[in-house]
Amino acid sequence: MSIVPQDDPEPVAIESTAPPNRQPTVSSAPSATTTGTRGRRHQALMRLRGDIPRSVHLGLAALGVLVLLGGWALLATSMGSESFLLPTPAEAWAAGVDLYRSGDLMADLSASGRRIAIGYGISIVIGVAFGVLIGSFRSAAAFVEPQVALLRYIPASALTPLFLLWLGIDEAPKIALIVVGTVFYNILMVADVARAVPKELVNASYTLGAGRLTILRRVLLPYSWPGIIDVARVNLAAAWLMLVVAELLAAQQGLAFRVVRAQRFRQVDTMFALLIVFAAIGLVSDLALRALRNRTAPWSEGSR
Amino acid sequence: MTGVIVEAVTKSFRAGRGVDPLVALDGVDMHIDAGELVSIVGVSGCGKTTLLNIVGGLETATAGQIRIDGDLIVGPGPDRGMVFQGYSLFPWKSVTQNIAFGLECARWPKARRQGRIDELLGVTGLTEFAGHRPDQLSGGMRQRVAIARALAPEPDVLLLDEPFGSLDAQTKRVMQDFLLSVQARTSATILLVTHDVSEAIYLSQRVYVMASRPGRVLEEIAVPFGSVRGPAVLRDARFLDLREEIEELLHAPSPLASSSSEQAIPAQAAPPLPPPVPL
Repeated sequence: MSIVPQDDPEPVAIESTAPPNRQPTVSSAPSATTTGTRGRRHQALMRLRGDIPRSVHLGLAALGVLVLLGGWALLATSMGSESFLLPTPAEAWAAGVDLYRSGDLMADLSASGRRIAIGYGISIVIGVAFGVLIGSFRSAAAFVEPQVALLRYIPASALTPLFLLWLGIDEAPKIALIVVGTVFYNILMVADVARAVPKELVNASYTLGAGRLTILRRVLLPYSWPGIIDVARVNLAAAWLMLVVAELLAAQQGLAFRVVRAQRFRQVDTMFALLIVFAAIGLVSDLALRALRNRTAPWSEGSR
Repeated sequence: MTGVIVEAVTKSFRAGRGVDPLVALDGVDMHIDAGELVSIVGVSGCGKTTLLNIVGGLETATAGQIRIDGDLIVGPGPDRGMVFQGYSLFPWKSVTQNIAFGLECARWPKARRQGRIDELLGVTGLTEFAGHRPDQLSGGMRQRVAIARALAPEPDVLLLDEPFGSLDAQTKRVMQDFLLSVQARTSATILLVTHDVSEAIYLSQRVYVMASRPGRVLEEIAVPFGSVRGPAVLRDARFLDLREEIEELLHAPSPLASSSSEQAIPAQAAPPLPPPVPL
């Protein structure tokens, strides 16, 4: 659509003196006939990186879960004579309810949860302490980083026999395994978070009269906080992995122990119920950490 | 008070094995008197920011020294407030908490602290935004917070590194007038680094023009407007002459730039508008 003055049906005197390419100073309605369209229209839902309404978002999420469950149910009912190998969702649910009624589920959940809480808690504390040091002081990085890089490549699960030998078969080796299996990742990832604190922010703090300890405590740590929560979120999966390794080997209680026990009695439906419990715990803890981040660091880029 | 004295400051960086060290600053002498607003202008890479960081104590000089009221500068301190181009506010702290940081570091008693904060909020026109976080403020407001934060512990000198460099033209002008009003009220000693020649003339009593490779002072120019500052300066015919003179100094090595005043427009000035075309 062009608005060149010459095309105007009613040119006024002032326009004739205006340069040919300039829009008239006295504006008149542009020609109102549509002769075509320009640009390509996109489907709202499939626009690259486009926003979608929240209702659509939730609907699609629910649909995704339903598709997963439906596929499972379809597969399970088509197993025929081998159907005991793959229970239907309803059978798994029933087995889960039974497990809950017997009291075993809650006992296992609390045993496993306790191990994760202690083991991963220790790992996070060590990870934050060393990570922030490495990320803040070049000297600390030079000293600690090669050690961590080296130790990180020892598969933690390979240490299980050693821990059993050293620490017995009670809680200690299980907690140790969770710590060792996650702490190096926590250290290195927290170090990256601490390194990402802008140098200008540290410099500004110095010029405001802050000492090193003050900057560490009151600038580096708060700035790194949302990043630390993200690290904790990512590595929590590894903590559960190590828990399973520990409980498979020696335990009288715990979710993974219960899976092994169910296998021994060929209770595949119970095994599936337990797997869903694992998935649910992961989902809930992920959402909880995300909520914590949004709550405690609303200023941060990834929060909202 | 004798102000800031920069004596033969040299700064060189090792560029690598077998390569001559990079000389960022070569024997720079300057002085900023108490209550004065002095600008350093120079093209990028002339070491003006490095010099400011050395005055701030964030970098150390390879040779030479800096004294403030006779004291040798050996590191950063709250006697020299700094403002950076990137604001560098604490993003998790409110405006009030940002301003309070320096006061807490200096262990001001709580009652006095609040009084000082209220005063600065008033000076910077941020009273209504005291509880806002930096991400809830515009660029100009953020920079006002940064200036208030730097002023809070009552520094002897305020060091500004391209403070308005990332602001749009309108906000920039408002902030420049704001800085002048702050100086009028607090009679702060201010050293401003900028690449904007107009800004330097508009704001300062004296301008140091720096050249690059190696970074050195080309000339010290007194701005002849006396105590008259701000918009009135723009109407003075000498303003344009002065700007042209400084632009020519800055672009001296390049024959193209000094041949006509038209080409001596500051680099960041908006390009001339293209001729109107039909939509």
